[in-house]
Amino acid sequence: MLPETNRTIVDRLRELRQTRFGAFVPVLLALAAIWFYFGVAVPLWDFWSDPDATGIRFIFLSPRNIYNLFMQSAVIATLAVGITIVLLLGDIDLSAAATAGVCAALLGVLVLAGVPGWLACLIVMGVGIVMGAAQGLLVAYVGIPSFVVTLAGLLGYQGLMQKILPTGNLNIGDPFVRSIARVLIPDFWGLVLATALVAFVTALALRRQARRKARGLELDSGLAIWGQVAFFAVLVYAAVITMNSYRSLPLMILLLVALTALVGWVTTSTPFGRSIFAVGGNAESARRVGMNVKRIRVAAFGIVGLMAAIGGIFGASRFGSVSYTAFAGGSLLLESIGAAVIGGTSLFGGRGSVWNAILGALVIGSLGNGLDLSGASAADKLMFSGAILILAVAIDSISRPAGGSPR
Amino acid sequence: MTGKDSAVGRSAPPSHLRVYGVHKRFGGVHALRGVDFEVARGEVMALVGDNGAGKSTLMKVIAGAHTADEGEFWMDDRQVTVNSPHDAAELGIQVVYQDLALCENLDVSANLSLGAEPVSSGWRILPRMLRPIDDLEMEVRAQKAINRLEVRTLKSVRSNVGGLSGGQRQAIAIARAVGTESSVVLLDEPTAALGVAQTRQVLDVVKRLRDTNHAVVYISHNLRDVFEIADRICVLRHGGNVATWSVKDTAPDEIVGAMTRGLDVRDGNAA
Repeated sequence: MLPETNRTIVDRLRELRQTRFGAFVPVLLALAAIWFYFGVAVPLWDFWSDPDATGIRFIFLSPRNIYNLFMQSAVIATLAVGITIVLLLGDIDLSAAATAGVCAALLGVLVLAGVPGWLACLIVMGVGIVMGAAQGLLVAYVGIPSFVVTLAGLLGYQGLMQKILPTGNLNIGDPFVRSIARVLIPDFWGLVLATALVAFVTALALRRQARRKARGLELDSGLAIWGQVAFFAVLVYAAVITMNSYRSLPLMILLLVALTALVGWVTTSTPFGRSIFAVGGNAESARRVGMNVKRIRVAAFGIVGLMAAIGGIFGASRFGSVSYTAFAGGSLLLESIGAAVIGGTSLFGGRGSVWNAILGALVIGSLGNGLDLSGASAADKLMFSGAILILAVAIDSISRPAGGSPR
Repeated sequence: MTGKDSAVGRSAPPSHLRVYGVHKRFGGVHALRGVDFEVARGEVMALVGDNGAGKSTLMKVIAGAHTADEGEFWMDDRQVTVNSPHDAAELGIQVVYQDLALCENLDVSANLSLGAEPVSSGWRILPRMLRPIDDLEMEVRAQKAINRLEVRTLKSVRSNVGGLSGGQRQAIAIARAVGTESSVVLLDEPTAALGVAQTRQVLDVVKRLRDTNHAVVYISHNLRDVFEIADRICVLRHGGNVATWSVKDTAPDEIVGAMTRGLDVRDGNAA
């Protein structure tokens, strides 16, 4: 590497992005900046500029608002996690929100027809996988660029949703479906869960370090390990305690985290996940070492379809209804792609993480929520979102390793 | 002519891989016109020739990327067929192409195990693609491969390939080819884009390959490197053999002459 004295900020940024943990930093900084602005700066400004104010009102950072923020961001985050998978391949999926819409509409129609809620959810998830994988087949075996395939998918699935829901709106009263967003984990069990999670992560880190030592591999510094564990613990406890102080930890957030953990584990720790990164990094290399690039593409699009279906279920559960504008016709698609990209997942493939997609979804959600609270118009919201997206992609471009060709 | 005495089959070591009378046509172009080629274990055989001489075609035929129209393949004393890269890999023939095909977004150990990641034992209910990667085992293997080739400048097998120098990347690509139980390694212009120090590093790695009893085929334009590293030099011209020399018995001028004009006396060597 370069000598200490010659390193510029950009070099440091690049090195930071190389580490697994460092990839979180830019999006966390963005989130912190947004939360500081809406949570501290705006209320203070209002207090000082308004002589009649009786006290500072921290609405944005109130537990109630944070709770709503998480729930609002959950659907975006679910789609963003799926989209991250295809972005890692260097492809894109424009049809995820429309897929979610079709799945949610189908769910509504099924439960209305008397199908039990759990069965309807499973059917819809299956349909989502088929819808995603069908596009994957066109991309991988017919060789159409994913942008075109999924653009056609976006249009086609939007139409399909309108076919399923001619009125454009359907209420969902099924108790199973509603319970996903309504069930709360009791305060005590939420804390137990958080403690178990932190203990698990700590044990994992320590065991790994012990095994590295036993096999004579280079060791991570103790500071880094404990720093990561402490950071994780703070994040988990802060989230749970904040939720508890308003209501409790909602089941939907728990499901989202569990799903993301599963997808994250598959992408980083299995041969399948490694092959996704390999195809995204250098498809020719993946082909030469004997990976079935086409099948990997289809599987990745299948996963997006599944995540989109789950996002549709989450959305239907949260709103208690399915409407065209909430899914296929609204801003959900761009917000979820934006979330994945703001999270630091490269549009050129091969770099990114599903956890960052969740943080990216929080950034997008916070921005919308904060602007709503400060009474901004829809026009302001759109322009702010655009600016944040450009900023995120600019950071991605600058921090890409020097000399690496944009793949 | 000097070429005759040291041609294939005289004082040469017993060959490990040997091809006879290889023909390859691409439509109307007769790219290989009955080429003979051989390489022994523990030697570096350089394959040189002007542009269009058929070096790359011959390499791809040996690697199974192209199928020969005619020709015999022998490994030790067994006749074999190579119709696909998979066949070649089964026989222990590995190629390091000029573009290396490394994944720059992954670290060194991931690149070395790419496509053959070790998975943890247990988890039998899951398909192999979804079992957890044993990344510690992966690092141990990578470290062994790097140590075997003595790539001293590499700080850690956990560094991303995107941040490595050209010479280090070449070494990683070679290590990947060698790591998979190979006995024949074909190197396509391994030093073409490298500076002096990096070239030295790669040549050291190639020497290590020879010392570990691999049969190395070294394709290059750079005669200085060839004369430093090779034991024998096989010259191709217009899709046919010119001759094979032992490095001790020849000089760069003679090789350049053979590459550009062929031999003055056509006495069977060009067959």
